[in-house]
Amino acid sequence: MFSKILIANRGEIAIRIMRACKEMGIQTVAVYSEADKNSLHVQFADEAILLGASEPKESYLSIDKIIHAAKQTNADAIHPGYGFLSENASFAAAVASAKLTFIGPSADSIRAMGDKAESKISMKKAGVPTVPGFEGLESATDFKKAAKEIGYPVLVKAAAGGGGKGMRVVEKESELGEAIESARREALNAFGDDRLLIEKYLPNAHHIEFQVLGDQHGNLVHLFERECSVQRRHQKIIEETPSPLLAPKLRKQMGEAAVASAKAVGYFNAGTVEFIVDPDTLKYYFLEMNTRLQVEHPITELVVGSDLVQWQIRIAAGEKFPFAQKDFSQRGHAIECRIYAEDPANGFLPSTGKLLQYIEPRGPNIRVDSGFTAGSEVTHFYDPLLAKLIVYGESREVTVQRMQAALSEFVVHGVTTNIDFLQAVLRHEDFKRGDVSTRWVETKFNWKPGGPSFQILIAAAMADMATPRAPTRLNANEADPYSPWKTLSGFRN
Amino acid sequence: MKIAFDQSTIDLTPNGRNYKAVSDGKTVDVEVIRAENGKLDLLIDGKHITAYISSDGAKRWVTVNGQTFVLTKSSGTKRSGAGHDYASELAAPMPGQIRSVNVSEGEAVSKGQTLLVLEAMKMEIRIQAPRDGNVKELMVKVGQTVEREQILVKMEEQ
Repeated sequence: MFSKILIANRGEIAIRIMRACKEMGIQTVAVYSEADKNSLHVQFADEAILLGASEPKESYLSIDKIIHAAKQTNADAIHPGYGFLSENASFAAAVASAKLTFIGPSADSIRAMGDKAESKISMKKAGVPTVPGFEGLESATDFKKAAKEIGYPVLVKAAAGGGGKGMRVVEKESELGEAIESARREALNAFGDDRLLIEKYLPNAHHIEFQVLGDQHGNLVHLFERECSVQRRHQKIIEETPSPLLAPKLRKQMGEAAVASAKAVGYFNAGTVEFIVDPDTLKYYFLEMNTRLQVEHPITELVVGSDLVQWQIRIAAGEKFPFAQKDFSQRGHAIECRIYAEDPANGFLPSTGKLLQYIEPRGPNIRVDSGFTAGSEVTHFYDPLLAKLIVYGESREVTVQRMQAALSEFVVHGVTTNIDFLQAVLRHEDFKRGDVSTRWVETKFNWKPGGPSFQILIAAAMADMATPRAPTRLNANEADPYSPWKTLSGFRN
Repeated sequence: MKIAFDQSTIDLTPNGRNYKAVSDGKTVDVEVIRAENGKLDLLIDGKHITAYISSDGAKRWVTVNGQTFVLTKSSGTKRSGAGHDYASELAAPMPGQIRSVNVSEGEAVSKGQTLLVLEAMKMEIRIQAPRDGNVKELMVKVGQTVEREQILVKMEEQ
């Protein structure tokens, strides 16, 4: 087993990984950028190394600096988390060349799945159903011909893509040219690769993914599905397991297809095979495989009772599975809500600032994975994910209620969050029925924030008259602007 | 006292231990049952609510029942309420002992001037004048032990 692991990431996932390391008695090394020097993940680690400036390419995306930090601290392995360098095959290869262990799959597996066009071709070969479409097209005429053959609406997406970047839904032929151009530009910017593929767009599809886990001795299991259809701008905001759409037979088929997909690229470590499922025909299609730990991995951990990060570490250290597929079952229900610093009333624009208050919910079967606390700065440099609120319950209904109660206890001041938006989704009849497709938020869910209630106004006014005028302080030593010091005099007559 | 936020105005009037709040033709009785760091426990017409409040310039972040609003206090609103001399009494923020009394009754003091020093939890806490005025009444003596929220000094306008 490793004695020291460097975590090449930040925020909640860095802390999540460090917790697993601590539990296993492994020392942890954090890396950080200028903007993150006071952040929680730095404080949580045994050692921390400054990588450089706040821009990701100067810090969390700098392969050389990260490997240097690992060497400098005598770490023996690197965990990439998700995002940043986690699906970068050159990084995995560079880690191996530096005689360190990459906690993830082989560079070859990453490469094979990283290219959406190549992976689709190899999945077809492995007999896994894929969305009807074409790869390797170049000219506008070829795309036009292909789109006609597939039938509109079509989806144009970056071969090197991920995270919704370089992706366009095209409803009719007149929009195709512009969509291809803008997707190419975005793909070139984001991935340095402007190859696109085109496929049938299934407007009412559910996004259902399967967690797979493989050791380095050829054993591969799946840990069932995660339903991730509640999305905005092609990014997930609520995930749950089990999926309300899957019956046991379909679940079994898809699980087997997920294992076949992973086997086709010689996969080991934790990975996720994403499918889209047509709710009308219940046909499923391979979408892509994420060759890393997924943001929403905790819901799987709760229903199967496994620690995925610990297993990632054990697999990387060469351990053999003591279990087989038949040893796994789903027990109960789990939901994750992603708490984003963003404004749903304003195109989900990220919101930055200092967290004036930050209070997490607590209670039975409530888990919060977070990288922030009161006083933390949310900067524009990185993803605006503040926290993941994960709850568990014995049934879907109980779990939804628990999530609603937990969300109502979450207090975040200083940045705008999507908490009210999430509450509105959970209250919606379509969500209650489990009848939500990936475009539901855009096309069916009409949400507008309400105005402040009388209670809100009273509370604001009471606090206001209780604080001294201007920022005068009763006590110059007082660093805390919310101190009861200032609130006292106003409450007395 | 009228306070305006965005499009809404609320009128708060002290009423015994409580307040009368009027907004949009609606009147309720408000009692403060607890006030701590960024958190108020209120009884509004007898119903308990917990409110989380943070201030950032003119912005007020308010959360009640899990719903958060950012209100902007309108400029030009006067805070000097008729008959409500809200900052006239300075209270102890926590239990402690009076270390020193630096002023005497009737003395004119200026904003920020240290009136007395309280020792609590091995810290010295200076009780300072929130604005210019006169010391109307000293309620404590050196060495005296005080409770949280006990009135230490009363001030009046110059």
